[in-house]
Amino acid sequence: MKNNEEYMIEVQEVYKTFNVYLDKANSLKEKMLFWKRNRKEVRQVLKGINLNIKKGEAVALIGVNGSGKSTLLKLMTKIIYPNKGKITINGKLTSLLELGAGFHPDFSGRENIYFNASIFGLTKKQIDDRLEQIIEFSELKDYIDNPVRTYSSGMFMRLAFAVAINVDADILLVDEILSVGDQHFQEKCINKMKQLKQEGKTMVFVTHSLDSAKELCDRAVWLSNGVLKLDGKTNEVIEQYIKETA
Amino acid sequence: MKFFKSLYEYRELLKTSISKDIRGKYKNSVLGIIWSFLNPLLQIAVYAIVFPLIMKSNLPNYTVFLCCGLIPWNFFSSAISRTSFTMIENGNIIKKVYFPRQILPLSVVTSEAVNFVISTIIILAFVLGYGMGISKFIIFYPLVLLVQYLLLVGISFVVSSVTVYFRDLQHFIGIVLQLLFYATPIVYASNTIPENFQWILKFNPMTYVINGYRDIFYYQQTPDLLSLAIVLGISIVTCLVGYMIFNKLQKRFAEEI
Repeated sequence: MKNNEEYMIEVQEVYKTFNVYLDKANSLKEKMLFWKRNRKEVRQVLKGINLNIKKGEAVALIGVNGSGKSTLLKLMTKIIYPNKGKITINGKLTSLLELGAGFHPDFSGRENIYFNASIFGLTKKQIDDRLEQIIEFSELKDYIDNPVRTYSSGMFMRLAFAVAINVDADILLVDEILSVGDQHFQEKCINKMKQLKQEGKTMVFVTHSLDSAKELCDRAVWLSNGVLKLDGKTNEVIEQYIKETA
Repeated sequence: MKFFKSLYEYRELLKTSISKDIRGKYKNSVLGIIWSFLNPLLQIAVYAIVFPLIMKSNLPNYTVFLCCGLIPWNFFSSAISRTSFTMIENGNIIKKVYFPRQILPLSVVTSEAVNFVISTIIILAFVLGYGMGISKFIIFYPLVLLVQYLLLVGISFVVSSVTVYFRDLQHFIGIVLQLLFYATPIVYASNTIPENFQWILKFNPMTYVINGYRDIFYYQQTPDLLSLAIVLGISIVTCLVGYMIFNKLQKRFAEEI
């Protein structure tokens, strides 16, 4: 129990199961008529995960599809809750899980910056202070007062990413989004991540791109079937991972 | 306490979602915000024509009487029916980001409250138009509004969270609201109801709310403060219980939606 504060993220013995309804009775009528039919499959996604992440660490979560990486990330953001175990977060957390949450197509890019940033818990003044920075990062200066529905999907993602990255959190959770926009914008994102890392932010990435994991992270955690298989230096873990899954 | 702290932290979200709610409502309609007035006016017109025909009423200025009940009722019923949809409507953000989920029902109720305060202009216009004048008792208006607001917040916590697991509630609520409409003295005065049905009105907290508004604008007398205080107490308890239910249920929102 010593020095608990030095960890930004503490995951203790976390279990998570999902109920997968084979045919869900959604209404009272269906529930009464087909009460026998309401079969569900309980899927155990995480089976006792322990993971502590220190301040300033950049950790890559790797593993094949369905190994529980994204679930673990969602648990850290408190979108879902564990069935057993405990997750403690020390610090302000922002997630880049799915971008553009709360964007309203009929409102302008500028207004949407306010909607989106407020979902991350920023106040009006904090958003005002960051507005220029966000617009500049998104490179949408000429379009910022147009409604978002007129944006191309790339522009949409750029705006969303620019908001999320400028929230100024202590912990960043990133789920497979280093594929935003064109080559130029991607490089910009990676550079921004590196800069944030140098500023001492804690980061957790879920990624299948092992190259970007190597580039950004100093630690990698390999999840396999809901258990932690290997935890260590990025290069070593990835090497082992490639060897076993290839 | 922790809840109020997080609410304060996310105050901007609450603010923007309230304003988005109000402005988004009429965004694509030609008449826009005018509908906020036109809707209740047309409704009052229909009721004012129909009800005097089917029931004998010796209330003077029946239209004003009706308007004092109908407009607060609309606040009540549309807030409740809209909170039953709010979680599912916002399913995509619930699944994507963390924020205090209580903000969603709160912002619906609050934006409906804002809408109601604006519609109060209609009541005032009728009262003035019929030459009844505005009484000094209008100082009690904020109190009655507070009672109604807290009652709605409590109910909205329950309704919004339970619907996620039990979608039928949406339809069920429509029926209950219709029943409740007639179980509340809106189109009639409470003393015209036969003795053996009085208990229904007695146990309905909305009776006291509507009567409160009516005392202020129509009868122009001090509202029944004791009853309002009791309903205030009930509203606060509803809020607490509703909050606990919501908190319990919200943990699996992202999975159930």
